[in-house]
Amino acid sequence: MVEAMRKLRADAESYQGWWSWLTTVDHKRIGVMYGVTAFSFFLLGGVEALLIRLQLSTSNGQVLDPDAYNRLFTMHGTTMIFLVVMPLSAAFFNLLIPLLIGARDVAFPRLNAFSFWVFLAGGLFMNASFFTGGIFQGKLGAPDAGWFGYAPLSLVSTGQGIDFWAFGLLILGIASMAAGFNFIVTIFNMRAPGMTLLRMPVFVWMTLVTSFLIIFAMPIITVALFELLFDRLYGANFFNMAAGGKPLLWQHMFWLFGHPEVYILILPAMGIVSEVLPTFSRKPLFGYQFVIFSGLAIAFMSWGVWAHHMYTTGLGTIANSAFAVSTMLIAVPTGIKIFSWIATLWGGSINLKTPLYFSVGFISMFVIGGLTGVMHTVVPSDYQQQDTYFVVAHFHQVLFGGAMFGLFAGIYYWFPKFTGRLLHEGWGKLHFWLMFIGFNLTFQPMMILGLLGMPRRIYSYGSGTGWDFLNMLATAGAFLIGLSILVFMINVVVSLRRKERAGADPWDGRTLEWSLPSPVPPYNFAEIPTVRARDDFWHQKYAEDEEGRPVPIVAGGAYQAEEEEGEEEAETGHGIHMPSPSFWPLIAAIGLPIMAAGFIYQESANLLPMIAIGAVITIVGIYGWALEPASE
Amino acid sequence: MGVQRTHLRLAVTALLVAILVLLVGCGTVDDPQNTFAPEGDVARKQRDLLLVWVLGPAAVILVLVFGVLGYSLIRFRRKSDNELPKQVHGNNRLEIAWTIAPAILLLIIAVPTIDAVIDLGRGPATDALHVRVTGRQWQWEFEYLDPEYEAAEANLECVAPQLRAPEDGAGQPLCVVGELHIPVDREVGIELESIDVIHSFWVPKLAGKLDNIPGTTNRMFFNATKIGSYSGQCAEFCGLGHADMKMIIVAESEEDFQEWVTDQLEGGGAARSRTGEPDLVSRGE
Amino acid sequence: MSHAPAALETTATGIDNRKLLMWLFLASETLLFGSLIAAYLLYRGQSVVGPYPEELFDIPFTSVSAFVLLMSSVTMVLALAAIQRGDQRGLRIWLFTTALLGMLFISGQAFEFTEFNREGLSLSSNLFGTTFFVLTGFHGAHVTVGVLVLLSLLVMALRGRLTRSQSMNVELVGLYWHFVDVVWIAIFTLVYLIQP
Repeated sequence: MVEAMRKLRADAESYQGWWSWLTTVDHKRIGVMYGVTAFSFFLLGGVEALLIRLQLSTSNGQVLDPDAYNRLFTMHGTTMIFLVVMPLSAAFFNLLIPLLIGARDVAFPRLNAFSFWVFLAGGLFMNASFFTGGIFQGKLGAPDAGWFGYAPLSLVSTGQGIDFWAFGLLILGIASMAAGFNFIVTIFNMRAPGMTLLRMPVFVWMTLVTSFLIIFAMPIITVALFELLFDRLYGANFFNMAAGGKPLLWQHMFWLFGHPEVYILILPAMGIVSEVLPTFSRKPLFGYQFVIFSGLAIAFMSWGVWAHHMYTTGLGTIANSAFAVSTMLIAVPTGIKIFSWIATLWGGSINLKTPLYFSVGFISMFVIGGLTGVMHTVVPSDYQQQDTYFVVAHFHQVLFGGAMFGLFAGIYYWFPKFTGRLLHEGWGKLHFWLMFIGFNLTFQPMMILGLLGMPRRIYSYGSGTGWDFLNMLATAGAFLIGLSILVFMINVVVSLRRKERAGADPWDGRTLEWSLPSPVPPYNFAEIPTVRARDDFWHQKYAEDEEGRPVPIVAGGAYQAEEEEGEEEAETGHGIHMPSPSFWPLIAAIGLPIMAAGFIYQESANLLPMIAIGAVITIVGIYGWALEPASE
Repeated sequence: MGVQRTHLRLAVTALLVAILVLLVGCGTVDDPQNTFAPEGDVARKQRDLLLVWVLGPAAVILVLVFGVLGYSLIRFRRKSDNELPKQVHGNNRLEIAWTIAPAILLLIIAVPTIDAVIDLGRGPATDALHVRVTGRQWQWEFEYLDPEYEAAEANLECVAPQLRAPEDGAGQPLCVVGELHIPVDREVGIELESIDVIHSFWVPKLAGKLDNIPGTTNRMFFNATKIGSYSGQCAEFCGLGHADMKMIIVAESEEDFQEWVTDQLEGGGAARSRTGEPDLVSRGE
Repeated sequence: MSHAPAALETTATGIDNRKLLMWLFLASETLLFGSLIAAYLLYRGQSVVGPYPEELFDIPFTSVSAFVLLMSSVTMVLALAAIQRGDQRGLRIWLFTTALLGMLFISGQAFEFTEFNREGLSLSSNLFGTTFFVLTGFHGAHVTVGVLVLLSLLVMALRGRLTRSQSMNVELVGLYWHFVDVVWIAIFTLVYLIQP
C-alpha cells in the first residue's frame, strides 16, 4: 500500500501515469484538461443542437415531443455557454497566460487545479439531470425552463431538472470565480521583469478584463440562483406573486449578470484574434492602446446595458430610451476593435494559414453580429425582433461566428506550441470552409425567419407559416457544421501522428511563448526573461531600419538559433523548483456535487447525511490543502 | 495562392448573396406573420424605423468593412517567405476618427428611436376599444372592457374573470378565447396580464410584442388598417404548450364587428372561438 | 500554510499574492451582499401578510450583538499586532477572544431567529421573512466560516505552528473578518435602524 502510494507520488512528480493528471498543478496540463473536457461538452451540446434542428427542419416535426424539445434547448444553451465557451476560454487562459507574461506558473497552482475539478464536477452534475426524469421509461430529465430560467416558469417546473440546473450553475460559478481571482493575481503579480502593463499582449489584457467581469458578475447570478432554490426547495417568496414577489426581479438579476457574461464569452476570443492577426501579417497590432482601452470600455459599459434584454417587459419610456442609448454606445468600442484589426492586416504580409482564416471568419461574422445588435437597440423595432429567430441568429453570429471561430483560430495557432506538431493545413482549411459555409447556411436563414415572425423556443410550427424552406436550409447548415467538427477531430488525430516537428517558432511569432521549445517544458522558462518591449520576442529576432522596416538580427537563422537555445534550456531545467502535485483540490471539488444532490433530494429521500458527507469531503479537502507543505 | 484568392472571392460572393436574399426575402414574401408586411400603423412604424434608420446604414457599413477586409486579404497576402512589411503601430487620428464617427452615427439613430419609444408609450386614443388580454398556459383570453360589451352570462372558457373577485350586481365583460375581433381602423387599447407564468402578446403584422407578466399590467395599443385575419402567437417561452399558444385577430368593418358582438352577447357562452383551447395539454403530459 | 521560497520572491506589484487574492475575493463578496441587500430593500414594506419587521425587531438586543461583532474587529487587530511583534501569548488570547465574540454574535443571531420564528416569521411566511432570513443567514454563514478559520488559527498557534513569519495568515483572516463586520454595519443600518 505504502509502496503503491509512493509510486503514484513519484509518477506525479515525473509527469507519468493517470495519477499525475489527477494531481497535476501544472497550468499547461490543466489547460489541456479544460480544453478536452470543454470540447467533449461541445460535442454533446452540438448533438443537442442537431436534434433541435432535425425537429424544426419541417413544419409539424415529429422527431421530439415538446417536453424533450424544451429540455434539449435548455441544455443546449446552458452547455454551450457554461460548459463550452467559458471553459474553452479558460483553457487558453491556463495554457497561455504564464507563458505570455514570462512566468513559471499561475499565482495559485492548486487553486487552478481546484477550478478545473469543480468545473468538471459542475458539468457532470448539470448533465446528470438528464437521468432524473426516468430516462429508461423514455422520459428525459434535465431542466426545461430555458438557459435564462425565467421565474415563475422555473418555479412551477416539476421534477428536479431546474434544481440540478441551479446547483450546477452555482458549482460552475465557484470554478469560474476561483479561476478569475487566480488569473487577476497572476497577471498583476507574476509578470516577468520589464513586462509592464502596457507591454502585455492583448490576450493577457482581455483575460484580465474577463476575469474582473467574472468575479463581479458571478456573485449576482449566485444570489439569483440561491433565491430561486430557496423558493423551490423551502417555499421562500422571492418570485411568488401571491406573496407580493416580483417575477421581474429574476430578469433584472439574471441580465445584470447576463450581459457582462456575453463579454466574458467574447473578450477572450477577441484577445486571441488580436494575437493571431499581427503574427500572420507580420505587423504589430494597429492601435494597441485603443484596442485595450476599448476592451476596458466594453467591460465597463456592459454593466449599464442589461435592460436591453427586457425592452418588451414594459419598463417604461424612460428606461427603454436610456438603455437604447447606452447599448448603442457600446457599439463604439466594439467598432474600434474591428477597425483596428482590419488596419492590422492592411499593409501587412498576410500569411494565409488556417489560424488567419478563422480570425478573418471571426471578424466578418462578428461584424454582422454587431450590426444586428445595433438593430436590437432600436427599441420599437426590437419589439418585433425580441424572442424571434432573429435574436437567435444574432447571438449565434456573436457567440459562434465570433467566439467559436476565434477559439478555433487559437487552437490552430497554439496547437504546435503544446503538442510539438502543427495541425494539418489541408484538413484545417476544409474544416474552416465547411464550418464557415455551414454557419452562414444555418444562421442567415434564421435572421429572415425571425423577420418573418418565427418565435424562439417553439417545438413546432404549422405548414401555412411559410417557414419550411428556410428551416430546412438552417438544418442542412447545422449538419454541415457537424461535419466540419468531424473534420477537425480527424485533423487532430492525423496531426498528432505526424512525424514532422513544428519547431519552437513555426509562425514567426511575436510573443514570449514562441521563444520556448515546443512542447513547452514543465517549468516553462529555464530562466525568467527580462522584457524590453511589447512583442518582445519579435524584437529579439528583428531590428528596425529608419523607415520602420524590420531587419532580421540573425540573418536567415533566427528560428534555428532559438531551437538550439530551447534544447539548452531543457538541459538546465532540472534544478528548478516546481510546485508539488496535490490531490486535495480534487477532493475538495468532489464534495460539492454530493452536497448539492443531498439538498435536492433531502425531502424525498431524507438525504441529510449526504449533505453532511459532501460537506465533510470538501472541508477535509480544504484543510488538507491548507496544511500540506506545498510551494505556493 | 491562386486557389486562396478564389476562396476569398467565393466567400465574399456567398456573403453578398446571403445579404441579398435577406433583404429581398423580407421585402416581398407575404407570410402570415411577416413583420415586413405590416397591416397596422404601429407595425408599420416599427418596420420603417428599422428600414430607414438602421438597415440602410448597416448595409453600407457592412459592404465597406467587408470590402476593405477582402481587399486587404487579396492585396497584402504574403508573396514570399522573407517579406517584411513596414511596422506601423497605429495612427491616433484614424483611431479617433473611427471612434467619433460611429458615435455620431449612433446618436443620430438614437433620435428617431427615442421619438418612436415616446410615441408608442402614449395611451390609446379616446375612441379606442379597450381590451384586456390575459395569458394563461396555454391560451389567450380577451375581455372587452368598455361598458357596452357587458355580457349577461360569463363565458366559462375564460378563466381570468373567474379568478377576479366578482362585484355585486355587476355583469361580466364579454370574454372570448383565442380569437379577438376588432373594428378596422380603430385603435385598440390593450391591457396585458397573466395568471400564471410570463407570456408575450404578439401579432407581428399589427404590432410588436409586449409581455404579459403576472402581478403587473402592461399597456399598449395598435390598429389594423386593412380588413382581414391576422395571426399571432405567444412570444415568451411559457412551457409545454408555448408553440401552440396562438391567436387570431379579426379586423372587420364597424358593422360586422357590431354584429359579431351582438351575436356573442346573445349567445352568451363558449364554443364560438375558432381556435379554442389547444389540445397540446394532452400531448405534452 | 507554509511558504516555499518561491512565494517569498517579490511580486511584480509588490503586493503579496494571497493578499491581492483576498482583496479581490472581498470585492466580489461586495456584489454578493449588495445583491442580497438590494433584494431586501426592493421588497421592504411589500409583504401582504405579517408579521412585519416593526413588530419583531428588538433594536436594543441587536445593537448589543452588533457591538459585540464590532469589538471582535478590535480584538482581531490586536491579534495581528501581537503576531507581528512575535507575542505568541497575545496572539492566542486575542484570536480566542475574537472567535469567542464571533460565536457570541452567532448565538445572538440564533436566539433572534428562534424568537422571530416563534412569533410566526419563517422563510415562507411573507416577503419580509424570505428576504430577512436569507440576507442575515448568508451573513451569519460568513461569520461562522470566519469563526472556524479563527479557531483553526488558534489551534495552530497553540501548537506553535503560527510564527511571526506567518503573520500574513492572520492578516488575511483579519481582512475577511473586518469585511464581515462592515457588511453587518450596512445590514444593521439598512435593515434594522432605517425603517420606512
